[in-house]
Amino acid sequence: MEFIYYFGDVFSPVSFALLLVGTIGGLILGATPGLSPTMAVALLIPFTFQLEAAQGLILLGAAYTSTVAGGAVSAILLKIPGAPANIATTLDGHTMAKKGDGAKALQLSFLSSAVGGVFGVLLLIFLTPLLAKWALAFGPSHLFWLAILGVTVIGSLDSSSVVKGLLSGCIGLWLATIGFDDIMGAQRFIFHPSLGGGINIIAALIGLFAIPQVLTMFAKGRQASGAEVIEVKKHSVLDATKEMLRWPRALTIGTITGSIIGLIPGVGGQIAGLVAYDQTRKFSKHREKFGTGHPEGVIAAEAANNAMVGPSLVPLLTLSIPGSPTAAVLLGGLLIHGIFPGSDLFDNHPDVAWTFINSMLIGQILMCVFGLYVAGMAARVAQVPQSIMAAVVLVLSVFGAYSVQSSMGDVYVMACLGVMMYFLERFGFSAAPLVLGLILGPIAEANFIQGSMIANATDGMGVYFLGGTLNLFLIAVVVASIAYSVWMEVRVQKLVARGEAKS
Amino acid sequence: MSRFQHIIPSGLIFAVGCWIAFVSFTQQPAEAFLFPRLIASVFVVLSGWTFGKALLGKSRVGVGINRHMILNLTPGLFIAGIYVFWAAKFFGFYTASTAAFFILFSLYDPSPHSEVKTWVRRAITTAVFMLVMYGLFSLLLKVYTPREILF
Amino acid sequence: MKKLILGAALALTGLASSLAAESYPERPIMMMVSYGAGGATDFQARIVTMTAGNEDALGMPIAIINKPGAGGRVGWNWFASQADADGYTLAAYNVPHFIAQSIKGGVQYSTDSFEPIANWGADPAVFVVGADSPFNSMADVIDYAKANPGKLTFSGAGLFVGHHIAALQIEKAAGVKMAYIPTKGGGSAAMKAVVAGEVLGGVNNLSDAYRAASNGSVKILGVADLERSEFLPDVPTMMEQGLDVDNSSVNFRGIMVPKGTPQEVIDKLAADVPKMFENKRVASKMSAGGSPMHIMTRAEVQEMWAARQATLEELLKGL
Repeated sequence: MEFIYYFGDVFSPVSFALLLVGTIGGLILGATPGLSPTMAVALLIPFTFQLEAAQGLILLGAAYTSTVAGGAVSAILLKIPGAPANIATTLDGHTMAKKGDGAKALQLSFLSSAVGGVFGVLLLIFLTPLLAKWALAFGPSHLFWLAILGVTVIGSLDSSSVVKGLLSGCIGLWLATIGFDDIMGAQRFIFHPSLGGGINIIAALIGLFAIPQVLTMFAKGRQASGAEVIEVKKHSVLDATKEMLRWPRALTIGTITGSIIGLIPGVGGQIAGLVAYDQTRKFSKHREKFGTGHPEGVIAAEAANNAMVGPSLVPLLTLSIPGSPTAAVLLGGLLIHGIFPGSDLFDNHPDVAWTFINSMLIGQILMCVFGLYVAGMAARVAQVPQSIMAAVVLVLSVFGAYSVQSSMGDVYVMACLGVMMYFLERFGFSAAPLVLGLILGPIAEANFIQGSMIANATDGMGVYFLGGTLNLFLIAVVVASIAYSVWMEVRVQKLVARGEAKS
Repeated sequence: MSRFQHIIPSGLIFAVGCWIAFVSFTQQPAEAFLFPRLIASVFVVLSGWTFGKALLGKSRVGVGINRHMILNLTPGLFIAGIYVFWAAKFFGFYTASTAAFFILFSLYDPSPHSEVKTWVRRAITTAVFMLVMYGLFSLLLKVYTPREILF
Repeated sequence: MKKLILGAALALTGLASSLAAESYPERPIMMMVSYGAGGATDFQARIVTMTAGNEDALGMPIAIINKPGAGGRVGWNWFASQADADGYTLAAYNVPHFIAQSIKGGVQYSTDSFEPIANWGADPAVFVVGADSPFNSMADVIDYAKANPGKLTFSGAGLFVGHHIAALQIEKAAGVKMAYIPTKGGGSAAMKAVVAGEVLGGVNNLSDAYRAASNGSVKILGVADLERSEFLPDVPTMMEQGLDVDNSSVNFRGIMVPKGTPQEVIDKLAADVPKMFENKRVASKMSAGGSPMHIMTRAEVQEMWAARQATLEELLKGL
């Protein structure tokens, strides 16, 4: 209960002002396509040089929390996920916005973000020592199976044809192998110097989602004004709260999946949203409504990606090992003030540690309040004429892709992938499985190679990859996931066949 | 939608798949290409399946391309291409973006081109948007974008 | 009207640039770090350049750009082949990493592609084992490796980086075969493998190991350097433990520019950058973060590069 003692520090004038700045700034940065939470936090590090340790961390903690949630804004309104974590939010969120329910989608996403986020931080406060042990339990073989579990999601994700979904995933997996191989240093498929560094995931994300949007708007041509103005429906916060509570299953699955996946070092929050989305759909009674603007999709995805924030810091705060890129940046923020995360942090600087954690807790709530406040206004983006929107998204994409690593190469890669994706989408391929392949490829490959090196030196491949409770459990989940997908597929086809027979 | 339309993209993807398979099975060292080989094998099977289906005319998913769409798309794609691949670097990000934004906006804006009011509105929108971009990326985030002319 | 404003603005900027042209630098400088944000190199690069904007240093801020991938190859390849040699693009070097990679081949750079400016830090490689490991000295490790050839797994940040060089030297000095496991994700991933018990030991940066050891999660058995470190006065060097391992694997970090940068710019940077490193605020932040400093001038770095080139060619000959 030590954390309650330090709540006062969060509400001192300077700290609270920083918390507000971090939260509002984080929402804006998160909503800008191309600025992932990691980048936003890295960009804020220089500001913390001038601040005291606790204050600097308040700023960083608040920014981390709200950039993750802010990514949902562009995901819902523009179908451009701000970070890999928000990909799943586009699937139902953007469809809702297109129907005029943008305000409702935004409100749901902020409310469920806050629920998931608060739960995640509470886990961090109460269960840190236990969670640290779990986080370390995941070795290369387990991470490999976890990545395979992610791959099983690919086929059924946002695609009307399973084969084309799998093929999209395969294209993503292949794109991920471009560039220098991380362990051996061998060059693979580098047919243009821009590809030397491989395909940057954020640049690819912008290209694959934003550019097809731009081109679709171009393809509609010069429409007479008023032809397609979306009526943005007003939606009260109370109704949104009721709506969220109508779907307790999505909220629970999202929160729990997000917390568990966020905890695992090296996988991070990138796939938390997608896995939670897929699991929720499998357990939902309204499976067929997913992808058509179903609230459960938004709730599960956003609850998951904010629930991951708290647990993702467990390995850093207890063992001094950053488990995600964002945690690595936060480590830098601590070291600059001469504070070593781990026992030193909690024993010698409890004020810094607990103020930081508390600020994330308060930050979740502030983020929700501000988010709800702007949701109604932000939803009006849907009414902006297409001619302006296309130009805005194009220019933002170029700036966003460039600022990832100050590289023109990333801009070219972004544009090429985008044009390719536009035409592929016309023929039933989709971006979400492709990006999932791009994310999971390197995780699966690196852990397989590393695991097989350890296995060859010790017990041998069979024992290393197939032995042990955790391995067997993960394999069982993979098998169950595939079996369930196949069973659902067969059942749907039977239903369709029966429907056709009747009519 | 015609069978022909489905054959082209799936054929292209199948060709890419075969090329990937060829490259990954011929390049060395073998350890580094183990994973690409695995992916390439699955890739070839799946893309072959899709290509076969397209050849038989059994592909139904997707809306395809039509003439109207291409006519609308071409000028925008052309200008966006010049902007991204050449002008952004050559003129600097802010100059090129201002121009690209103004041209694309004017091109697809349905308001009549003959009225002065339309042009004023377009210029103001462009200016406001570019100011926001400058404030966000240059002043707040301090991203140093290529600058050749003006800022 | 629009033309007029444009013209005036053009004239103004033209005037400003001609006035400022006499003194380099006239705009912010970019520095490329070929490892991810938050890693040891990135963290130190940010600290040593934080005072660049001061009047007594360069008078212009230095912005850090990360281009991580493949143990640094991605960033240095970009720097050697695509970076502008105008003095506004600097990079952090890691020796022996880039020299070892260039000897091994498959990259577009070598020591001849770059001009060193100054060195800011030297981070020796250390051998770490988990806190509950039965090993208490390098002798225990070597004995185990002799009894179980090829079965002692130990992690490091990749192939042909400082950690790998230290690993090769230890194997060569003791005449044993061990299983070096390169990890993806730099030193922190390698450290995680040790703490989690996935591997029996590991080679890691002194700065990261010092932090993990003070946290009680690892034991440090030896330092691969000529002298003991001031951060770890109780840990013996490899030489003291009878292993002939010199300082070839010590991770020297510093600033360089691409070949072809104007000589005046190089001279100005070579004069000002070491002074920037000597700033008191920089030194206090570096030692607070557990990062050993080692300032060297351009001439000293050139000598060090040449010496490393020779030793590494010798060491990597058989591979």
